[in-house]
Amino acid sequence: MKHELLCQPAATAIRFSLEQGDELTCEVGAMIAMTKGITVDTTSKSRGGSGGIMKGLKRMFSGENFFLNHFTAQQPNQSLIIGPTMLGDCIHHALSGGSMIVQGSSWVASDSGIQIDTTWQGFSSAFFSGESMFWVKCSGAGNLFLSSYGAIYSVEVDGEYTVDSGHIVAFEDTLQFRIGKAGKSLIGSFLGGEGLVCKFSGRGTLYCQTHNPPSLGKLLGPKLKPR
Amino acid sequence: MHDVSQEFFGGVFNDKIEGGRAAAKISIHPQGLVAETLEEQRFEIPFGECQLDKGGASGRMIFCRNNDRSITLFCEERGFPKALESLSLGAFSGQLRAIQQKQRGHEKTFWFWLTVGSVMTLIAGVIGYYALIATTQAAVAALPISIDENIGSVAIKSVELHARLDAGHVATKLVNDIVKELEPHSAIKGLNFRIMVVDEPTVNAFALPGGQIVVYTGLIKNAKSAEQLAGVIAHEMAHATLRHGLKGVGQSLGIIAAIQLVTGDVGGLLALSTQLAQESILTSYSRKSETEADLEGARMLHEAGIDPKNMADFFQMLEKLEGDIPDLLAWISTHPQHADRIARIENYQKQLPQKPYRLLELPWEEVQNQLAN
Repeated sequence: MKHELLCQPAATAIRFSLEQGDELTCEVGAMIAMTKGITVDTTSKSRGGSGGIMKGLKRMFSGENFFLNHFTAQQPNQSLIIGPTMLGDCIHHALSGGSMIVQGSSWVASDSGIQIDTTWQGFSSAFFSGESMFWVKCSGAGNLFLSSYGAIYSVEVDGEYTVDSGHIVAFEDTLQFRIGKAGKSLIGSFLGGEGLVCKFSGRGTLYCQTHNPPSLGKLLGPKLKPR
Repeated sequence: MHDVSQEFFGGVFNDKIEGGRAAAKISIHPQGLVAETLEEQRFEIPFGECQLDKGGASGRMIFCRNNDRSITLFCEERGFPKALESLSLGAFSGQLRAIQQKQRGHEKTFWFWLTVGSVMTLIAGVIGYYALIATTQAAVAALPISIDENIGSVAIKSVELHARLDAGHVATKLVNDIVKELEPHSAIKGLNFRIMVVDEPTVNAFALPGGQIVVYTGLIKNAKSAEQLAGVIAHEMAHATLRHGLKGVGQSLGIIAAIQLVTGDVGGLLALSTQLAQESILTSYSRKSETEADLEGARMLHEAGIDPKNMADFFQMLEKLEGDIPDLLAWISTHPQHADRIARIENYQKQLPQKPYRLLELPWEEVQNQLAN
């Protein structure tokens, strides 16, 4: 399976070239276009792995969909184009045996070598990180595709690193994150507009997005007419 | 002797690996830790050089680094720390304990702040609630009295007044005369008291905002004297002069308004205020309002030269009557705890300066005879 990122970085879509038998699991609603020889199968479990209703419910809590779409190429030389919900970039990350913790709505697609599960990152991150209560945990060996709101950039963390809440896309499982205040004093942190931030420690790759959906919501929300 | 080695699944960081990181099999040997990647690259850390740390996304991942930090092994498997402790013959006991203590410290800090946060939220909520009530009370006091009259005229429409006695009836005249005796002593001037006497056996009377007072003949018949009736009417007039109706609506609206402001839905406020005016005013005043009306009523009676004890006597009479005809005692059901109220009125009366009280010169016998027929 080959992939190509189209129209980067503002409105990225991903084009896959599939050979016969290639499989790809995608977020529901991600498919934009595809050739004739691809079948779609919708289930609540990840392909080849455990799953079922509970896994589906857990995924819903993490901001993902209850169902997953599995695309399988039945003929050679097939092409599939998928895109994320939010306007922004997509990236490819190759997993080789480790795990990646992905922010709820950022998971777009992964191939059959990757298990998708939901993980809890503790009370403080559930309520104060500006992300979903649960996170998506992708583990195994294979290709993983993530999306962002705005552009996406990666940071190799070794030691400590701080990200504003709402800007996390994904991080490797060798990184730990805690919620903390941006400045020395809590009040100062809030007055500075940063409030609570996510503090990473350890070593690993961290993906961040340049924009965050909650800030957009706060900007637009008050201007909308009441129902 | 212990096992020669034990294997776990984990990973390794090293610059020689492509991408800097790879999954690896980690085995614990008697001399140290060995990691082997799928590409068969091999990394070793002797126990003597090994620095342990705990972290990772799960918080359970154990990291082992060598002295110059060029190699970092990591493993998340549950049995790993225990195997490490036993197979290294206690070389890591101190380090593992220090890691555990560090984690407990973090947990303590978290629970401390969670508790502080919850308590602060609770306190803010309570203060907010009382501030809101105080604000509505002040706001109501500043509103013109015509608003009370408007609400009263809306509310009266939902009361059934079929058997209303006309203005010329002796009973209506009697109640009007009592109101005239009390009116000069009311807390606010300019209220237009209007009396409606309804011919029904119910022992009840109520006041609406703006000064409309409804009295049922059942109440007049059961009162032992014109002074007792004056006691009840003083209480009802006090509800109107203290503007309890508007305060009640203001309070309910205030809370609903606050909730709607927070949730951002302002549309329903107007519809709600109309609905509340029609429903909640008639149901009952709050207990605090009842006590206020008792004391204000007693003060009015005292000022008018009527013994406030008559009000307490009326409650006492109702208490005795209660067992006989419970259905008729609607007035009691909306005015609970009369024993407390009697005591409170008597206490209040002790604080008032002593003065000679008079009897009302009203055709009490004639009214009773008329109603009996």
